[in-house]
Amino acid sequence: MISIKSSLSFSLVLVMFGCATAPPPPELLDARKAYERASKSLAAQLAPAELDTAQQALAKAEKSYEEEGPEAPTQDLAYVAERKAQIAEVTGAKVAADRDSKLADKQFKDAQLEGLDKTKQELKSEKKARAEAEKKVAAAMASLAEMAKVTEEDRGMVITLSGSVLFKTGKYDLLPIAREKLNEVATALSGSNYKAIVIEGHTDSQGKPSDNDTLSLKRAESVRSYLVSQGMPSDKVSAKGLGSSRSIDDNGTPDGRANNRRVEIIVQPNK
Amino acid sequence: MSRKLATRMVWVVTIGLSLVACGGAPPPHDALTAAQSGVKGAEVAGATEDPKAQLHLKLASEQIAKAKQLMEDGDNEEAALVVSRAQADADLALAYAQAAKSLKQAKEADEQLGKLKKQLKE
Repeated sequence: MISIKSSLSFSLVLVMFGCATAPPPPELLDARKAYERASKSLAAQLAPAELDTAQQALAKAEKSYEEEGPEAPTQDLAYVAERKAQIAEVTGAKVAADRDSKLADKQFKDAQLEGLDKTKQELKSEKKARAEAEKKVAAAMASLAEMAKVTEEDRGMVITLSGSVLFKTGKYDLLPIAREKLNEVATALSGSNYKAIVIEGHTDSQGKPSDNDTLSLKRAESVRSYLVSQGMPSDKVSAKGLGSSRSIDDNGTPDGRANNRRVEIIVQPNK
Repeated sequence: MSRKLATRMVWVVTIGLSLVACGGAPPPHDALTAAQSGVKGAEVAGATEDPKAQLHLKLASEQIAKAKQLMEDGDNEEAALVVSRAQADADLALAYAQAAKSLKQAKEADEQLGKLKKQLKE
């Protein structure tokens, strides 16, 4: 009887040893940790189904541990439970990334539309500004034609201003009315594309030729510096004094001499 | 009835029970097939391009091989457990692969948006 008793108790001990008294296997500890992490991650909100599956898998492993002990199949169930928890966590991260992508795509499209609108608006206002500038130039050209002779010649467009309008006799300071006229000239030329502008001063043949040369140069320079002060590029505008060397009318009559006293602005076209 | 006989009977019952517990399970063919297609699916989803996904893909493949060996040896119960591990690793590999793709896309979308915003400011 002793041997029957001892084998029975040996079997009993084996069964008991298999139960909950043994410490949990590392797989189960890992699974618990993984589930804890997942339940605190984005998965709680973004992957609830996966998290629920993970919870069930962990519960199954825990039950197996209580009923069957720490060996197989507890280890396998815990191994699976750990991975289910990891799946829940990483799925949460994936859903969050998808959400971010969608948001960024929408913002991208919105920004594109906004940019398109802005570009259209800019083009519109640019066009408007250009039209206004052209109109201004045309108006200036028209009023220039009224107060000065404008001719197209081989040397370019020639704007002829009468000397008596610009200066007092023998002087080279611009009269106030001259400034107004030159403003029109500057406006009219602001929109056009030219290579260079030459300002020529001319006198009648009365008086000493050397005085006439000096006066005509000083007058041309007065006009030049005024135009430059109005924004015309100084490197493109030059001044010359030609005295009476290029008379265009009879120096024997008062009218002819008045015509010869002049300033010519020659606009050389850009080819 | 002698003591010897009684002792023997107890042992026979104990060993017999444990044999039933082990050898009686059918081979886990379906679960094995499912785990194998799980591995394929994860590969298609790009699991070989992400380090974490790649690790679990490897674990899944190794365990599938192990399960096959166990089935050949007739240990179907152990094979079923190993197959369940393989399936879990294949599923995790797929999840990692998909998440890596989504994260990459999100990063790209964010960069595109940043570039556009910068352009618009100019």
